[in-house]
Formats: sequence, structure tokens, C-alpha cells
Amino acid sequence: MVELARTPAALEVPATVGALGDIAAFVLRLAEGAALDKGAAYRIRLAVDELATNIVMHGYRGGDGRITVRGRSGPGGVRITIEDTAPAFDPVEGCLPPVPGLPPERRRVGGLGIHLALTSVDEFSYTRRDGRNISTLTVKAEGTDPCPPRP
Amino acid sequence: MPLSVSLSIEGDTTVIELTGELDAKTAPDFHQTIEKAAGHGTSTVEIRMAGVGYMASAGLRSLVFAQQKVADHVTIKVVGAIEPVSRTIRTAGLDRSILLSDD
Repeated sequence: MVELARTPAALEVPATVGALGDIAAFVLRLAEGAALDKGAAYRIRLAVDELATNIVMHGYRGGDGRITVRGRSGPGGVRITIEDTAPAFDPVEGCLPPVPGLPPERRRVGGLGIHLALTSVDEFSYTRRDGRNISTLTVKAEGTDPCPPRP
Repeated sequence: MPLSVSLSIEGDTTVIELTGELDAKTAPDFHQTIEKAAGHGTSTVEIRMAGVGYMASAGLRSLVFAQQKVADHVTIKVVGAIEPVSRTIRTAGLDRSILLSDD
């Protein structure tokens, strides 16, 4: 069980590439509030960035839309939800792990972004509610890297 | 944080030096430089990334693009990437075709 603040901080931005920096700054502030180490802060930032980028590029397909990011931090870690009103999309189904033997240049890098996101966090869940995609990501302060580099 | 990109030629090596953050917003700058670098025709393209503090999958897309743009015999090297950046490159399996080195 991760110990977190009761009241979430929230950020709502237009779904544009230009807003990704604001989302990153918001996530890094939460990571700092939880005193996450550098590696864990990097992982939660990467995961949120990849999912938000996917919403901008593919969710709204370049059209208008909003992304709401809510986050709570505490001594146990950081939990962040990302919400959008684009068509239903479950990142777990859109995840595309690298295929052994397939040359990298023939892979869909978009799916790899989601793979990066899901392997960077300690917990992930997705729900579709009231026309909204809601992804919840948690990185625990004491969590170990779920995707360590190969020796 | 913006990305600064510089391009130079050292002997038979084209050097791209990146400083800053490589994400969906900044990767197009890197893309443009790769186009130019591929036109140089050197046997090695060296991408110096010690100054890159963050790289998202948009950076991976740029590296894949680099592989597609250069001729088959050209070696692409990524030099000095910090651990989480090289981890991202390995997660995508790009370390099988791109040389990762510390210096």
C-alpha cells in the first residue's frame, strides 16, 4: 500500500505537443514531493510523457482535446492519473513489446512508447468511465526497477 | 528544456552532438540534422548524447530514422548516453544495430 497525500494536485492542458513540457514539470514536482530517487523520478516522468504523447498524436488524432493529469505524492511514492475524452483506448492492449528477430526499423515505435511506459511503473491500471480514458500509474519510493538493463 | 543540436565532420566520422531533452517536441530538430548527416557519406555517424538528460520514444524514432537514412555499411554510434537513456535504447532492441559506447 502506497502512502499518499489525500488531496490530489491537478493540471489540465490542451492536448498538444507544446503542453508536454508542462506535464513533465508537474510530474517532476510530484516526484520531488515524494523524495523519489533520480531513477524513479525519471521512470514516472517517462511513463506519463509517453502516454500523454500517445493521447496527443493518436488519441485525438491531432484534433482539439484536453488532458487532465492528477497526482498525489507521499513518502510511499507517486500515483498519477491521466484522463482524456478521446476514443476508448486501453494502453495494455496497445502495448507492443519488441519482437525478437524483427529489425527495429520495421517495428511500430508508437507501440514501443507504451511498452516503455508500462515497464517503467510499478503499478498500472486503465478504466473507461463516462466517456473518459483514465490511466493510473504508480511508482513506489521503495520500488525496484521493473525493467533493469540487461547485464 | 529545449534541445541543442550541432553537426560537424571529424575525418571519416560525422558527429552529431545533442544537449538537452529529446522528446516529441524536440525530436524534429534531431530528425533534420540526421537528414544532413546522412548526406555527408562518412563511414561512421557518431551521436554524442552525454548532454541528454531525458529521452522519450520520439528519440528512438529518430534513431530508427537514422538507420534507414544511412547506407548499409555506415556505422551508427551512440556515445556517452546516461543509464536511463541507454536503457530505453536497449528496451527497444536498437542496441543490436546501433553501437552504444561510454566514450
